[in-house]
Amino acid sequence: MRYLTAGRPESQRRDLLIAVGLAFLSLFIAGMSPDSRLAVTRVVRSTVLAPFLGAHRVFARSAELTERVTALELERERLAVEVLQSANLKLENRQLRIIAGLPERRAGDFAVGEVTAGAPETGASHTFLFRTREGIEPLTPAGISTPQGLLGVLRITDGGSGLGEFWTHPDFRVGVRTPDGSATGILRAYPAEGGETMMLLDGIPFQTSLAAGTLLETSGEGGVHPPGVPVGRVVREEDSRSGWSHSYLVAPLVRPGQARVGLVWLVRSLLEPGPEKVGIDSTSAGQEPGRSDRVSSDSGD
Amino acid sequence: MDVERSAWAWSLAGIATLLVLHFLFRPLLVRLPVAPNLLVGALLLATLRLRSGHAAVLGFGLGILEASMALEGMGSYALALTVVGYVGARSRDLLFADARFYVFGYVFVGTWLAEIVLLLLGTSPAGPVRLILGSGADALLTATICGGVEALTASLSARQV
Repeated sequence: MRYLTAGRPESQRRDLLIAVGLAFLSLFIAGMSPDSRLAVTRVVRSTVLAPFLGAHRVFARSAELTERVTALELERERLAVEVLQSANLKLENRQLRIIAGLPERRAGDFAVGEVTAGAPETGASHTFLFRTREGIEPLTPAGISTPQGLLGVLRITDGGSGLGEFWTHPDFRVGVRTPDGSATGILRAYPAEGGETMMLLDGIPFQTSLAAGTLLETSGEGGVHPPGVPVGRVVREEDSRSGWSHSYLVAPLVRPGQARVGLVWLVRSLLEPGPEKVGIDSTSAGQEPGRSDRVSSDSGD
Repeated sequence: MDVERSAWAWSLAGIATLLVLHFLFRPLLVRLPVAPNLLVGALLLATLRLRSGHAAVLGFGLGILEASMALEGMGSYALALTVVGYVGARSRDLLFADARFYVFGYVFVGTWLAEIVLLLLGTSPAGPVRLILGSGADALLTATICGGVEALTASLSARQV
């Protein structure tokens, strides 16, 4: 390959003029208003760079899906281990209930659905769309949670889709308790210092003290949320009212942006007829009978 | 004439491939601690075959594209790559005439200087270590890839003739 040489002097002068002109044009662009530069960027990105940006979106989506599949596989393995470990406990519990003459305890069913933050028509940041399979009509309001903890409440549903509110919504309230039941109270969203949305546990009697790190879970009062769903951990005491009660700042276990999939509690399933008595069955320690599109939590554990 | 045209076509294909690879894998390349700057490499390969004025125009255009992709420093990128294009095309006469062996050194030095200029113009935050060593490593990688592309396109055009 033969490379070009610099050429004749008059050509060199013309090339220099071109380069100097472009350098001044660059400086002019650098001095343009951000809006003008953004307009140029938009034009370039929607024309020449459009195929590359499309490819970037495909790559990013593919990487995100791979990450989600990996996370789901890990979660599935962890759940499989937990199910195996709980088998003996279930059997023991059933046998004890038979001895005590108690009917089978039913916690209700859950349906899995997709959570999409924000209502498109309003752009509200505290609400979400929930989509599950056709035919599942939860009684509303119904609690929505993830395996990690409470996410919010489903307000209205229509044919497998629904609109709900994250726990960050100003109107959201949930009854909580400590796992040992030593303290109960009402949790609500609370704007902490620095603008971060945290939770506030109100109405704790003055003589009751909660240590930092104490887990809080739903108490089940009101029938919206099933009991025992983790909600958050105590951070510190926030306020004291006239020596009668005090409140605690609580760090949530699940933030709205972290959840893409949620479990809605089908309280209606508790109203459906179920087995009154349980018998000792060699297979009962394994899987529970249930609808294929539901995640059943009927058990005595 | 056919020999020249064939060499041009293969060189153009090599430069275009480098540019497509750069814009296609840019999100990945910017995250790596050491990555080839295929944009500057392709521009330097082009400056071997273009007049300095045309090389400056190409550099300006690539600067606008890169800034639009990065969403920042539009004027800086355009200015830096315009200067790289013009100076690259003018300086090739000082370095070599026809010897292909020097392409590696040309791209290495050119990329290193271009990266330092880009960093100094504030297109990315960098300390002195990144400025010297990081840019040098990037330039070495770029020169290796571009030298390979140059050798490949030259051998392909020679085989076709």
